Amino acid sequence: MNADRPAVAPRAEAMERAIGLVLRAGVVASSACLALGLAIALATGEHGAALVLLHTGVILLLVTPVARVIVSIGQFASARDWTFMGLTIVVLVELMASAAAALVFNRRV
Amino acid sequence: MPVVNAVLALEIFLTGAASGSLGALLGLGGGVFLVPLLNLVFGFPFTVAAAISLTTVIATSSSVSAGRAGQQLINMKLGMLLEVATAAGSFLGGITAQFVAQSVLQKLFGFVAAAVAIVMLTRLQRRNVILDPTIDPGVLGGRFYEAESRCVVTYRVKRLGLAVVASFLAGNVSSLLGIGGGIIKVPILNAWCGIPLRAAAATSAFMIGVTATAGAIIYYGRGQLEPALAAAAVLGVQVGSWGGMRFGASASAKWLKVLMAAVLFVVAAMMFMRGGR
Repeated sequence: MNADRPAVAPRAEAMERAIGLVLRAGVVASSACLALGLAIALATGEHGAALVLLHTGVILLLVTPVARVIVSIGQFASARDWTFMGLTIVVLVELMASAAAALVFNRRV
Repeated sequence: MPVVNAVLALEIFLTGAASGSLGALLGLGGGVFLVPLLNLVFGFPFTVAAAISLTTVIATSSSVSAGRAGQQLINMKLGMLLEVATAAGSFLGGITAQFVAQSVLQKLFGFVAAAVAIVMLTRLQRRNVILDPTIDPGVLGGRFYEAESRCVVTYRVKRLGLAVVASFLAGNVSSLLGIGGGIIKVPILNAWCGIPLRAAAATSAFMIGVTATAGAIIYYGRGQLEPALAAAAVLGVQVGSWGGMRFGASASAKWLKVLMAAVLFVVAAMMFMRGGR
C-alpha cells in the first residue's frame, strides 16, 4: 500500500473533527477562565469574581469530556450504529454516577 | 488547604510546566511526576495532589486529542468501548480513595512508579510491528496513514478481554493516584492486542480525559480540589506539554528515558518510605 494520502473514511474523519472542535473549545474556554480567575485571585484575593471564574474554569474542564461523550452518542445514532451508541450511553451513565457520588460525599462533609 | 499566594502559584505553575514537558517528551502524561512533587515537596495531602493532577490530565487529553482529530490515529470505537471499563474503574477508584489512608496510596504510588520505570527501560528499543496492510480491520480495528513510511497502516484488535481488563485497572489506578493511566494501557494494547504504538497512544490519550473526569468529579465534590492551585497547574502543564512536543520531537528520547526511569525509582523509594511510617 503505497499511495498518496487516501480518503480513509470520510465519515469517521468528519466525526473526529467535530469531536476535536468540542475539545478545543472546552480547553480554550476553561483555560481562559482559570487564567483570568487566578490573576484576579492573586491581585485581590480568592473571593468574588475570582472564585466564580476559577470554579467556572474547573467545571468547564470537567464538562468538556462529558460534552464529547454526548456528541459521540449523537454521531453513533446518526450513523445508526446502535451497539456503539449503547456503549457510549453507558459511559455517560458512569460519568453521571461519579457526579452523583460527588454530591453524596459533598453532603457528608 | 494551602493558602494561594503569587509565589506558591508560580511554583506550582513551574512544577506543572516541568511535569508537562517531561511527560510530552516521554509520551506520558505528566501526572506521574506532578503527584509526587505536590505530595512530597509541597506537602499537600495525597488526595489534594491527586485531584490537581487529574485536572491537568483532563486538560492535556482534551488539547492533545483536539490537535490529533482528523488524522484517524485515534480509534474512536475502541476508545468508547474501553472507556466503559476505564470510567467504571475510575468511579470505583475515586470512591475508594476517600476511605483509604494516605500511607496506602503512597505505597501504591511507589509500586506503580517502579512498574512504570521498568516498563520504560524494557521498551527502549521497541518498534512498531510490521502489519499486513491487506487485512480486514473488523469492527474495532483501524486504519491510518503514517506520514513517515507513507503507508496506510491497518490493524485488527486482538485479545479484547485483556484490553478491557487493562483499561479497568488503568482507570482504577488513575483516580486513586491522580495519573492518566496510559502507561498501563498503552504497552498492553501495543504488545498483546495488536494495536500499533501510535494508535494505542493516541487512543489512550483520548480516553484518559473521560477516565480522569470520572475521578476528578468525586474529588471536586468532596472539596479536595482547590481551584486556584488547579488553575496554576493546568496552565503550567499546558505550556510545558506544548513546549515538550514542539522541541522534543527531534531529540532522541533514549537517554531521557533512562534518566527518568532512575528518577521514578527514587520517587518510588521515597513514596515507600513515607508510606511506611
